[in-house]
Amino acid sequence: MIPAPLGRLVAQLAKLPGIGEKTAQRLAFHILRSPREYAQELSQALLETVERVRLCTRCFALSDDELCGFCRDQRRDDGVLCVVEGIADLMAIERTREFRGRYHVLHGVLSPLDGVGPDQLRIKELLSRLGDGKVEEVILATNPDVEGEATALYLTRLLKPFGLTVSRIAQGVPIGGDLEFADQATLARALSARREL
Amino acid sequence: MERFRERALVLSTLDYGDADRLATLFTAGRGKLTAFAAGARKSKRRFAGALEPFTLLQVQLVERRGETYRLDAAEVEATFPAVRADLPRIARALYSLELCRELLREREPHLELFELLLAYLEALEGGAGPTSLVGFELSALARAGLMPRFSPCAVCGGPTGERPRFDPDHGGVVCEGCAWASPQSVPMSPTEVEALRALQAGARTPLPRELRHRARALLNLFIAHHLGRKLKSVDFLSQVGFD
Repeated sequence: MIPAPLGRLVAQLAKLPGIGEKTAQRLAFHILRSPREYAQELSQALLETVERVRLCTRCFALSDDELCGFCRDQRRDDGVLCVVEGIADLMAIERTREFRGRYHVLHGVLSPLDGVGPDQLRIKELLSRLGDGKVEEVILATNPDVEGEATALYLTRLLKPFGLTVSRIAQGVPIGGDLEFADQATLARALSARREL
Repeated sequence: MERFRERALVLSTLDYGDADRLATLFTAGRGKLTAFAAGARKSKRRFAGALEPFTLLQVQLVERRGETYRLDAAEVEATFPAVRADLPRIARALYSLELCRELLREREPHLELFELLLAYLEALEGGAGPTSLVGFELSALARAGLMPRFSPCAVCGGPTGERPRFDPDHGGVVCEGCAWASPQSVPMSPTEVEALRALQAGARTPLPRELRHRARALLNLFIAHHLGRKLKSVDFLSQVGFD
């Protein structure tokens, strides 16, 4: 019989995505063996996260204030807006250190088979952001799958009347990739989107 | 455990766990089945670009205990790139997939419907317009044994007359005289009856927008009645304005 508090901790950890019963036990034992301060800091961080983290009122990234760090940062370029499906995509683009513009997080993509339409995404909010005339280019960085393409095409139809440059992230062979093993669709797209050197 | 190869269209996919994916496939020889694609979301080589809705594949499957098959390999035969580059055609393609997915039962072969769906995707790739979707719906329903009747009257067998009504419960159009037996029926015009009857008979003349909308609304009613629920992609078609 394991003590009840430990059992409850294991049960709660096992609810996390990708964590099974055994991993949950391992994590719980690790917490138990660690100095008491670690458990205090962990519980404090958990509570603070759920209490303070919310969506930025402008770009809908995660924030601990009304506006997130990306929207508050005066050094970023107001003229370029990158539209992404979710927070994880925003973080992936940010890791490249190539993009210094602003973001807009849709929180999903059009997914007819799941009943997700334009009204379920942050599309109205995106259009209202363009009213101030600061944005000159919108980069559509949704995934290159059917839903991501459908979303990009739908947004293009809405954005074009604003007279902006609407661009789509490139698709093709990954750096360090091997043409021999590239799938047909990717290779065909890479060929059609080739650029002059 | 049996291992086999099949020609298959991807009907839909569902992410499973951190790295895997469940794919609902419409196979030519074994009908609709669910296949477990281990590592599909992490490995870019194994199923790269293959497990996407309306992709035509050559798949290698292994039968397992339980409901799902194991997807061992998938080779892309066609991706329908022109459909993927055009939002109205994406919407129609996804609707056609959902309709087939709901009309099919698991593991019941339906080669006729498979060929119809493949032919429709090829027609979309070639630029088929919005009326083609109504034609596809009618053909798919007929192949699934749910063909709506547009003449004669579904109750008395007489002419449908000047004030016909559409009654999914009786399987199609009823005349004014039989309307009392169809309290759930909705009015329709003789022009609508004729347009739908002609499409069912194989006519491919594009319908005017208003007539097409009305025909689709009646078919949505019929499909929802027989499936017990409205298809999810119906709302998408109307929300994005490609109905």
